[in-house]
Amino acid sequence: MQYVKPRDEAELLAHLQRDGATIVSGATDVLVKMRRGMRPPEVIVDIADLRELHGVSKSVGRVVVGAATTEEALLNDTTIRLHFPLLTRVLASLASPQVRSRGTLGGNVANASPAADSAIPLLVYEASACLVGAEGRRELPMDEFFLGPGRTALAKGEFIRSFALPIPQVPWSIFYHKVGQRQGLAISVASLGMLIRCSHGVVQEVRLAVGSVAPTPMRLRVVEGLLTNRRLSDSLAAEAGELAASTVCPISDIRATAAYRRQVIGDLLRQFLASASGPCAGL
Amino acid sequence: MKIRFTVNGLEAELDVNARHRCIDVLRNQLRLTGVKEGCGEGECGACTILVDGSPVNACLMFAPQMDGKELRTIEGLAQGDALHPVQRAFAEAGAVQCGFCTPGFVMSTVALLERSPEPGDDEIIDALSGNLCRCTGYRKILDAVHLAIDLSKRASLQAQSGASAGTVPQPGGAGALPCSREESHKCNM
Repeated sequence: MQYVKPRDEAELLAHLQRDGATIVSGATDVLVKMRRGMRPPEVIVDIADLRELHGVSKSVGRVVVGAATTEEALLNDTTIRLHFPLLTRVLASLASPQVRSRGTLGGNVANASPAADSAIPLLVYEASACLVGAEGRRELPMDEFFLGPGRTALAKGEFIRSFALPIPQVPWSIFYHKVGQRQGLAISVASLGMLIRCSHGVVQEVRLAVGSVAPTPMRLRVVEGLLTNRRLSDSLAAEAGELAASTVCPISDIRATAAYRRQVIGDLLRQFLASASGPCAGL
Repeated sequence: MKIRFTVNGLEAELDVNARHRCIDVLRNQLRLTGVKEGCGEGECGACTILVDGSPVNACLMFAPQMDGKELRTIEGLAQGDALHPVQRAFAEAGAVQCGFCTPGFVMSTVALLERSPEPGDDEIIDALSGNLCRCTGYRKILDAVHLAIDLSKRASLQAQSGASAGTVPQPGGAGALPCSREESHKCNM
């Protein structure tokens, strides 16, 4: 195993063109896999101290987050808290303080776990990833980034430079719940995030994303379509819950059965919609 | 691979194996065996150390990643024979059974109180959510954190009044064990 620390993006790109090169930042995932028997990567390219990939900055109409920004730094970032409160909420329940000190947004996303918590806010805020490869840069909507468990649209030799999140022009009401087996360090069994805007009880716009109930984190666009321009009611919530439960495609594994996961997603959505039609619904 | 870092205030320059983890270097090369290895997967927090002030699992960090960092372990807390307020609080509150998880809990608590000197229960529970105790439970650990908050406050007040008045610490003050038996019974309730 070779261990290299590129000093800038050009060096990083050069190292990534080598066979067996793997990017590591917090190492919170690769060291767990190695302990469980995975062969160490041939070349570890450590980007934890690469300043160019760190930090949160504002550009025209959007906020850009460096891929190697730690989850803890993001959790404490006031720009993120102000514009993307759902991301802050998700990070607060992600793993543990120790893991958040080292783990990065880029790492959580690039590992492409179906349970990757931070994928949900990135999907509902319609973020895009800035990818850099030998051929140059490209911007990819997060919706097209995840291809399957552990599989992403990243090409060989390409890395995630940053994420761009468009700043919402009108504030959303936010909802998020992760069902796990305990509070701290829980790997989600099922999770649902929702952004919604209502006017006089009618849904103007809604975005839904789920985790751990499909091969990748994903938007529930069919359910969003059902809800848009409809008046919130118990029967609409029930209908949406059923549609959500039948849209997701979970598996049974060590943490829960597929049937349980479907039920949880449907129930969570019904609860969210009931809260959304509560006292603040007219706002 | 050569790396340089500071650990508990001392500068270190070491040749490390890039396959090794931070915890391997601390325990095997530096003999800082207060850093405990429980699960080795970042679930239990027994190996919690501070890296540039943040709590980190020493089992989830490659040895080369220690380069240029400022590390603190449980061994660096006491000043000579005087325990750190958080250590005193854990002992006084009886927040220890087998003791294996204790260095990790203490380091997480130190990180918390340095960032937020008077945290509420929710904040404490979140700060300790990456640490597991399998012996006894968490009630006395919470008591210990509350006691540590009091002790730290008292210590800093004493430091302030001592500095302004130019007096030496009073007997029963900073030098003595600041938590009486009675108080420790109170915190155990």
